[in-house]
Amino acid sequence: MSLTKITILCCHYTNEAGEEDFAGIPACIEVRRFPCSGKIEVVDILRAFLDEAEAVLVAVCEKNKCHNQVGNLRAEKRVSLTQSLLAEIGLEPQRLRLAWIPRLDTGALVEEVKNMYEVLVDILSQKGDTK
Amino acid sequence: MIVAERKPIPRILKTIEPFKKIALIGCRGCVAICSTGGDREVEIVSAALKLARKKQDRPLEIIEKTLIRQCDPEYLKPLEKIAPQVEAVVSLACGVGVNLIADLYPEIKIYPGVDTLFYGANPALGEWEEKCRGCGDCIIDLTGGLCPIARCAKNLLNGPCGGSQDGRCEIRPDVPCVWHQIYERLKARGELDRLKEIWAPKNWIPAGHGGLRRRVREDLKVNKPNKEKP
Amino acid sequence: MSKDLVAGSHLEKLLKEGHFVVTGEIGPPRSADAEVVRAKARLIKGYVDAANITDCQTAVVRMSSIASALLVMAEGIEPVIQMTCRDRNRIALQADILGASALGLKNLLCLTGDHQKFGDHPEAKGVFDLDSIQLLDMARRLRDEGKFQSGGEIKGTRPRFFLGAAANPFADPFEFRVWRLAKKVAAGANFIQTQIVYNLERFQKFMEMAREMGLTEKVYILAGITPPKSFGMVRYMKYNVPGLDVPDEILKRMKEAKDKREEGIQIAVDIIQQVKEIPGIAGVHIMAIEWEEAIPEIVKRAGLYPRPEMAEKPLMVWAQAAPEVVEEKVPPTKIPEKAAEAPLSVDLGALKEVFSALHSSMEALRHGVNLLHDGLANLEKTLLGKPVVPEEEGPAEKPSEIPEKPKEAVAPAAERERPAEAPEKEREKVEAEETKPAEAVKEPAPKEKEEEAKPPEGPKEPTEAPPAEAEVAEGPKEEEREITPPQVGEELILPELGTSYRQVSERAAGIPEEVYKEPGTAFIREVEIGKGAKAIKIGGTNVLPFHLFEGEMRHRPKIAMEVIDVRPENWPEALAKHFADVWDDPGAWAKKCVEVYGAEAINVYLISTDPNYLDHGPEHAVKVVEKVLKAVDVPVIVWGAGHAEKDVEVLREVSGLLADKKSMIGPVEDANHRALGATAIGYDLSVIASSPIDVNLAKQLNILLENVGVPLDKIAMDPSVGALGYGLEYTYSVMERIRLAALYAQDEKLQVPFIINVGREVWKAKEATLPSDDLIGDQEIRGVAMEVITAVALMLAGGDMFILRHPKALEITKKLISGFMAAQN
Repeated sequence: MSLTKITILCCHYTNEAGEEDFAGIPACIEVRRFPCSGKIEVVDILRAFLDEAEAVLVAVCEKNKCHNQVGNLRAEKRVSLTQSLLAEIGLEPQRLRLAWIPRLDTGALVEEVKNMYEVLVDILSQKGDTK
Repeated sequence: MIVAERKPIPRILKTIEPFKKIALIGCRGCVAICSTGGDREVEIVSAALKLARKKQDRPLEIIEKTLIRQCDPEYLKPLEKIAPQVEAVVSLACGVGVNLIADLYPEIKIYPGVDTLFYGANPALGEWEEKCRGCGDCIIDLTGGLCPIARCAKNLLNGPCGGSQDGRCEIRPDVPCVWHQIYERLKARGELDRLKEIWAPKNWIPAGHGGLRRRVREDLKVNKPNKEKP
Repeated sequence: MSKDLVAGSHLEKLLKEGHFVVTGEIGPPRSADAEVVRAKARLIKGYVDAANITDCQTAVVRMSSIASALLVMAEGIEPVIQMTCRDRNRIALQADILGASALGLKNLLCLTGDHQKFGDHPEAKGVFDLDSIQLLDMARRLRDEGKFQSGGEIKGTRPRFFLGAAANPFADPFEFRVWRLAKKVAAGANFIQTQIVYNLERFQKFMEMAREMGLTEKVYILAGITPPKSFGMVRYMKYNVPGLDVPDEILKRMKEAKDKREEGIQIAVDIIQQVKEIPGIAGVHIMAIEWEEAIPEIVKRAGLYPRPEMAEKPLMVWAQAAPEVVEEKVPPTKIPEKAAEAPLSVDLGALKEVFSALHSSMEALRHGVNLLHDGLANLEKTLLGKPVVPEEEGPAEKPSEIPEKPKEAVAPAAERERPAEAPEKEREKVEAEETKPAEAVKEPAPKEKEEEAKPPEGPKEPTEAPPAEAEVAEGPKEEEREITPPQVGEELILPELGTSYRQVSERAAGIPEEVYKEPGTAFIREVEIGKGAKAIKIGGTNVLPFHLFEGEMRHRPKIAMEVIDVRPENWPEALAKHFADVWDDPGAWAKKCVEVYGAEAINVYLISTDPNYLDHGPEHAVKVVEKVLKAVDVPVIVWGAGHAEKDVEVLREVSGLLADKKSMIGPVEDANHRALGATAIGYDLSVIASSPIDVNLAKQLNILLENVGVPLDKIAMDPSVGALGYGLEYTYSVMERIRLAALYAQDEKLQVPFIINVGREVWKAKEATLPSDDLIGDQEIRGVAMEVITAVALMLAGGDMFILRHPKALEITKKLISGFMAAQN
């Protein structure tokens, strides 16, 4: 059985974290980069889930730090819309998270992914899913 | 434009419960402009439906397609190719499109994916507001362009009612009293006398209470060669 | 202000006599418990002059206003029924107004109504077909003009209400409020009850404006008063009730008061004292919401007690007809004595009257059934082709019965007079000053008078009948034209129908006229075809066909015969044999139709011009029409081949000949209505508007024609008919609906006569063309019967002009028309 998969959708300015950075997390981490978090569409998040992700982290630049002014704000709204969609479908909205990450701060990102993983473990164990 | 709202995903799921493969058909007309049934929404709804069914371990296959319009027969032609490949079709167009498909293609199991709300304007991004009710007998020449039929909760023709206070509607204080607005508008134009007349009861036949409404323009009809009786 | 009473309610009388009136308000319960209403009524009885009964106030379901009003009335308080536009459309509103009036209610407060959003059923569909002002206007017209909202007339008793409306001086825009009041006055408000007054300053200003506009001269204004029950209530009213203005001072008084209720009553009394001084205030309307027991105290303290005595007790109109029911339902102790007494004295008489009327109408019915039997037997004999035995038998039976029956009918009428008159006189003695109840009691009386007036006519009629009978034996005018070649089966010789006629009023002795008479509200247009002595007119009726007892048919249905522009192909022998000698010459053909067969007009059918048939050009049509015109002087109709484009081409040419002849051309369809409409106008012709068997399409075509300038009295409608067995029923139904819409629904665009081409439809039917055989009988009898039955059926559906083919069909149809028109002979 493969590892639990977490997909990170992030702004390409946010970080350059690579596979080795996430080595400490017992999950399969996939990173998808976008020119700006404002380019991350609702459907991209949903498709990440369709592609077997158990959780999705949308990592955006800190407020007022978006290279494109408001791309991160846009992403914030889309994440919240997608969370409500997940709820409609019957998936826990907590499986989707938005993280404000200082630019190029890999440590912060890894930290968020760890948190995400813990939340996911929580969700899965509550459901009796012992993956 | 015609403003619509996506139906809740569980509602759509229930509709397509028995099927394994469907087509999800958007419309680039009004519903695309009001971000309910255009290309983007087709993608989103499709992904959401698939995700939900995946979760149930009953994968759903979806053919996605967005037509230019669904209220004209010629733009529905692509359906003829798509429909045979699927068990059912869900349309994200307004009720007009769904009805026309049902009219023209009785063999297709067509289901609505949206609730059609009203004829509205888009006063600001992300906001839509009813402005017209299509009552078939426009009177806004007399009301400064503001429609009491669509915008007064009681359809008053001799307003404002006794509940109008501070220019707000008593039904929903976040909404202005349209009769108050009409009053102010006509006052500014020096046309207040109009409101001092008694307006007669409205004829509701053109509004659809006289049965199905149709419009015919002979000059626009296709010319068919004569094939007359013996 | 006029002192004439519009409805005669107690409230109206007091206001017109100059009293400062007090009205209260009773909110019906949210249950079917009558006792709640009665108890509330008892609380305020004697302290108010009338009580409003709210109509599902704040959109919460409650016992209906009208029903509660009756309960209140039974307690001896005059109700003011409130009526909102929220729950009923104009049909239901009018129905309730009629019903409420019939039940003896006399005050009506017209409101738009609180929005359903505020109530207990926020998901309900709000109707709001009318608004309060339109409702007032409608109620006033019902009362003063006797007209329904649609414009139709009320035949019979009009609903009489003293009309009220609400006014809110505290809503916005303030300057417009007094204008809205003016609109309500103009719409028909006789009195006004205002929104609750707490802000006297603003109210005084409002009244000042009303006085300046002269409104206080036209309407009685009652100021709305509500005693606050608690501090919470005033606070709620101030901040949560739109259109209510509560000054801080009132808030303060309630907040600081030790005894909140006492203070509330005192506030109400203070406000009453102040509004009383405002010129133009004619009374107060006290709305003690769920606190009715406060009213007596307020009225007393305000110095408004005692209230003037009610001149008469409210009359329980509904109790008259069935007093037993009322007694059963209501324990005797609860019936206010006075209310029950009065109706009881009337009831014996009224009951006797009802029974004797029932007896005599049953008698009349029985007689009618006998007549029907006779008529049916007669028709059967003639149409089924059995030699008619002594032909006079049918009609002869009638007169023999007539003299007997009316006597029976008259007798009960006379009997009725005595008991009914007596109680009325008694009442007059007992209640000398009464005006209103007398009227109400008289309600049955007018009917009686009509009946009294009628019986004298009754006996006269039958004595006149026998001479009429003699005339029939001689045979009417049509017979004068001798029918030369009756090469038809003897079975087709129809005897003349009886022309004696007994007035319905006589046959329906005992039934008031208004019960069975319902003439249309408009006339079908008269369309004239042809010129000179032989010109004919069709239409001009305001009743369903042959309902001569309730209206008028100015012209009997007319019959034309058809001339075909070429020798007809495929005509069955039964038809062909009558025309074979003339069918090569349209002129001779037309002449034969008129002179030998008695056609009242000629229809020239230009079938050969059809591009799909012989495609003859306009010059052929011109020749044919020219010949016909030369040969006959009856009106000529020219009927094209039914090919929209070709018809335009042909009829344009032909119309040149028809100029000045006032002929009729057609068929005009929506595809060629512009061209042919213009042609018709140019040559002063009338047109056949031909539409595919549909009410709306027929109407639309008439509208289109009118739009291009063809007046409605130049149009006859061809609804596209089907022969017997070929959609006759559908045709009948559509024609009937068109006619009903024209006569009874003010559908002006359909008030146009029908022209019906029966012959063409019938003689192409298979059944008309199959040869004679044992199974389906003689070809000619069959065809003629089909043609007659189709014609007569469509005549009964409203047909005004018929085009037939077989001479015998024409003859029989004419005789039937004569019979049907007997009442007008």
